[in-house]
Amino acid sequence: MQFRFEKRAEPSRIMLYATPVAAVLLTMVLGAIIFTIIGYDGIGAVREIFFTPLTNSLKWQDLAVKAAPLIIIGVGLSIGYRANVWNIGAEGQYIIGGLAATGVALLTQNMSGWWILPLMGIAGIAGGAAYVAVPAFLRVRLKVNEILTTLMLTYVAVNILNYLVFGPWKSPTSFGQPQTVAFNESQSLPYIIEGTIVQAGAPIAIIVALVAWFVMSRTIFGFQINTVGSAPKAAAYAGFSANKTILLALFISGGLAGLAGMLEAAGPFGRMVPQFPSNYGFTAIIVAFLGRLHPIGVLFAGIVLAITFVGGEVAQTTIALPNAAVGIFQAMMLFLLLAGDILIRYRVVRVVVAKGREAT
Amino acid sequence: MQNEVPPRLEMTGITKQFPGVLANDDVSFAIKRGEIHALLGENGAGKSTLVKMIYGIMRPDAGEMFWDGAPLKARNPKEARRLGIGMVFQHFSLFEALTVLENIALGMDGGLSSRALEARVREVLKAYKLTLDPHRVVSTLSVGERQRIEIVRALLLNPKLLIMDEPTSVLTPQEVTQLFKTLRQLASEGCSILYISHKLNEIKELCDTATILRGGKVVDECDPSKETSKSMAEKMIGGDLKAVAKGAERQFGEVQLAVRGLSLGRGHDFGTALKDISFSVHSGEIFGIAGVAGNGQNELLAALSGEQHAKADGVIELCGKPVGTSEPSTRRKAGLCAVPEERHGHAAVPDYSLANNGILTARHRRELVRSGLIKHSASHDFADEIIAEFGVMATGSKATAGSLSGGNLQKFIMGREILQTPEVLVISQPTWGVDAGAAAFIHQALVDMAQAGSAIVIISQDLDELLALSDTLSVINEGVLSAPMDVENASIEEIGLLMGGVHGETADSAKTLPTKPEAEHAVQV
Amino acid sequence: MSTTLLIAMLITMIGASTPILLAALGELVVEKSGVLNLGIEGMMLTGAVVGFAVAYTTGSPWLGIGMAALVGAAVSMIFAFLTLSLSANQVATGLALTIFGTGFSALFGSEYTGKPLELFKSVFPAGLAEDPYLRLIFGHSPLVYFSFFMVFAVWWFLSRTRAGLILRAVGENDISAHSIGYSVIRIRYGAVAFGGAMAGIGGACFPLLLTPQWVEGLTAGRGWIALALVVFAAWRPLRLLAGAYLFGLIATVELYTQAAGGVFRIIPTELWASLPYLATIGVLVLISLGRSTNANAPACLGKPFEAGH
Repeated sequence: MQFRFEKRAEPSRIMLYATPVAAVLLTMVLGAIIFTIIGYDGIGAVREIFFTPLTNSLKWQDLAVKAAPLIIIGVGLSIGYRANVWNIGAEGQYIIGGLAATGVALLTQNMSGWWILPLMGIAGIAGGAAYVAVPAFLRVRLKVNEILTTLMLTYVAVNILNYLVFGPWKSPTSFGQPQTVAFNESQSLPYIIEGTIVQAGAPIAIIVALVAWFVMSRTIFGFQINTVGSAPKAAAYAGFSANKTILLALFISGGLAGLAGMLEAAGPFGRMVPQFPSNYGFTAIIVAFLGRLHPIGVLFAGIVLAITFVGGEVAQTTIALPNAAVGIFQAMMLFLLLAGDILIRYRVVRVVVAKGREAT
Repeated sequence: MQNEVPPRLEMTGITKQFPGVLANDDVSFAIKRGEIHALLGENGAGKSTLVKMIYGIMRPDAGEMFWDGAPLKARNPKEARRLGIGMVFQHFSLFEALTVLENIALGMDGGLSSRALEARVREVLKAYKLTLDPHRVVSTLSVGERQRIEIVRALLLNPKLLIMDEPTSVLTPQEVTQLFKTLRQLASEGCSILYISHKLNEIKELCDTATILRGGKVVDECDPSKETSKSMAEKMIGGDLKAVAKGAERQFGEVQLAVRGLSLGRGHDFGTALKDISFSVHSGEIFGIAGVAGNGQNELLAALSGEQHAKADGVIELCGKPVGTSEPSTRRKAGLCAVPEERHGHAAVPDYSLANNGILTARHRRELVRSGLIKHSASHDFADEIIAEFGVMATGSKATAGSLSGGNLQKFIMGREILQTPEVLVISQPTWGVDAGAAAFIHQALVDMAQAGSAIVIISQDLDELLALSDTLSVINEGVLSAPMDVENASIEEIGLLMGGVHGETADSAKTLPTKPEAEHAVQV
Repeated sequence: MSTTLLIAMLITMIGASTPILLAALGELVVEKSGVLNLGIEGMMLTGAVVGFAVAYTTGSPWLGIGMAALVGAAVSMIFAFLTLSLSANQVATGLALTIFGTGFSALFGSEYTGKPLELFKSVFPAGLAEDPYLRLIFGHSPLVYFSFFMVFAVWWFLSRTRAGLILRAVGENDISAHSIGYSVIRIRYGAVAFGGAMAGIGGACFPLLLTPQWVEGLTAGRGWIALALVVFAAWRPLRLLAGAYLFGLIATVELYTQAAGGVFRIIPTELWASLPYLATIGVLVLISLGRSTNANAPACLGKPFEAGH
């Protein structure tokens, strides 16, 4: 029996939303098989990574904490990718956003007031946006590929972080530990539910996704971003400026990554440390794709990827699965999703092979 | 007398089905040795599919093909070439960044050294009196020279059958004459030629036999020299030709669009610079711009639509207001709508619904957006209106533009702009790839629009279309626009010379040049 | 500066540039065929861990390199299948490959952390390889000579052979190449496999040529720099050599100035560490200022080809 692909007259909307779900399910099946083959407890790995975080209510708070930055960064990246600008350096913008917020915190060390947190938020957004401004202007003015520049700047951002926490920003009371002083109460995110570890990051992530949904589907600005990304010549003909759109899309993705950095610094970390880069910026790329570059899709995809993060930590302690396994599961998910993309535009049909003819 | 010699190629009962279309339906015909055989039909009549099967790119669902009497079994182009089938495509399969010689080498299956190949190429060039520099990079060549590469590539294989797919659609009349000489020489040497075209005069001039296709079926086989262009056209289209009601008593009004000294640099590596272009179009006037593809038409359209800015605001005036450096949206609001040549990805976004494609250009004039928010129901209503008024075959306003056939998408795009009732409409290739019925409909819509007082600029490579529609005509060549002429008094020879880059000649001196006046050139299809 | 120090620096420079050079040569061929594989970093990491593991367990660096090439090519086939057979987005798939390679190398590398490996040294007799002057010629690892050979081989293949011409044609105009009868997809599969093998060997250079130990993420973005180098070199192998040495030079200067201390201490180590990445951006900016070189970019780069369906 042979199969071939036949082009659909219209892209399939069902497949558009079914393939991400199928990719996640298939990742579990294939992951279990592969990890069993290479000598781990494959079924246990899938159980711990994908299900324990959901069944164990103690882990729900962890999920909310991890999902928030993934969603915020993922929403920004998905807007950028829709404009066909490939910011893959969100990790760097996240770091700089966190550093900018830390800078504000260090300046307001002995102060208190409601205004400090919003100021840190603005600093985070501005920091992330400013950091992406270099690749953005290089792209628009000189057509320098933003993929490489944003990524290169991520490595630089890590060095800036190290320089600051090992040097000028090192806390005098940290006994040589490379870290800043702890943020005070006015500089830390409030807990939204008493007695939990869930801070303001989670509701902010939901608001960001909802606002982005409205903007992308209802406003001419969202239309403009989509048009510039999918048909640049048609966009120019329609009167949308490609350069302005690209700049805005990059600033939004950088700014949101910076905001996520601020929320992490003022939230779970509570100070700046060398361990601040947590790979959220890279994982958010998977989140954006798994969410089909749709803000609400990103919301769900962020939760799925947060599950694997939390589950990875569980599996590390319960079945001694190395943390790197999570990365493989995440990559597999993206591979399978991209493989499934073809089903949106093509259907699989069975070929009746006639004699003397070979299927091409 | 040739009864015992089997035909070079014989097709019997060829049928090919595509999803939704029967491209070829029981097609049978034969090509004799040394015969120039025309395959005549409209766009979509099934000519290209048939040829692809001969050349091994596709296989028929039913029917048989015979090559010199034996079954033809070419499973791919390579095997077809080995049998002696050469093909010159309508869209050249050339590699812009490679040299002529490299391009030819790619088309050869044998492992000839590049020196030996060059010697062979020079031999062929000499034998057929063709000029071409083997070491030039293709991107620097003219369209005619590019076609010569394809021809040389085919000739190097000593073909027994040469397939020419719409070879003259991009050539000047003078280049066509040169091509015909080459083809006649080839045929006299015994090579059969399958000549695919919808240009009746060429077929009358060149071909021994014509097989006429309509809707995938053979409708007639005839001797073109015994037919008139009109009779063949009727067979091809399957009905009496309907002339466009031009409304001769049209009155021109004020100047709506004035262009004064428009010059633009080359937009990109393969672009054409515009040099000092000036013209004006009145209300009620249809202004035609003829020319061979790639002579600055796209650049001119971009400059008018606003995708490219002129050097100064006053270079382009719209209803008396300078707009030379305004954005496309501003120009649309001020009354200028434009339709670029390329439908997919330029005039329309294939992945977008028809409603969203409406928003693309009509959001201001049809008020589909208010304070930044899209009015979705209004945009669906607008798309439905276009579908109804322009007879667009589509499942509705939610259908994607990419799902429409070329002709229907063209009707949709034309409808989208016409229903905005602009003061000035600039269109490139209004009927490219559209069937005769739709073309007539679009032509009528344009004439009606002019009648209602709009100024219309039509940029087209179809001279017949321009002669039928326009009041005034100019020719663009290498970015230079000729002085406008009254269509009533224009001569084909003069237009042909202008298209070929002969400037500043008067019609009289033009006639002294050794070009053969081609009879009945202006038959309207 | 003494001549021997200069020679020592040159040898360091050549060594430091070799992994980037090899990976970039592979990517150059891939891109010439019209495919953009952003997964070099992932394939290099995969090659690095496989090279280390095999060389460590068998004691044979040759075997390590061979396996690194094989596994590099094997993982590149995931990319090839998705982008060529299923026409998936090349940028996204390349990123996925990098994420995969990062996870794969971390998973399999963890057990080798802290284990010693022997460097893959020159195979010439010590009299030549360790002579303070002659070692400039004879003192390199076989991997270095291999990289020289590959620069020439890739240049010769692309500009002098028929197969190279076909590969360039496929990258220039896939639709035309298909209509003439070339199998676009098959040729691109071949190019991607070559790119994977070269990136695998380039990755194996890290433990075998530079620092003989396993460190997670040891390529530190060199795969991405290789990508930038291909643009910098305007898809010409010989210019690639020059570009790679420029980066080797930066690494060498960083190394020697840090060792020298003194006045160089004023500049924070983090700035030195950032230099290769900033230089990459600088190089990309320079390239786009000189427009003409982009004309050499394969016209079909990164665009999916769907005639096969």
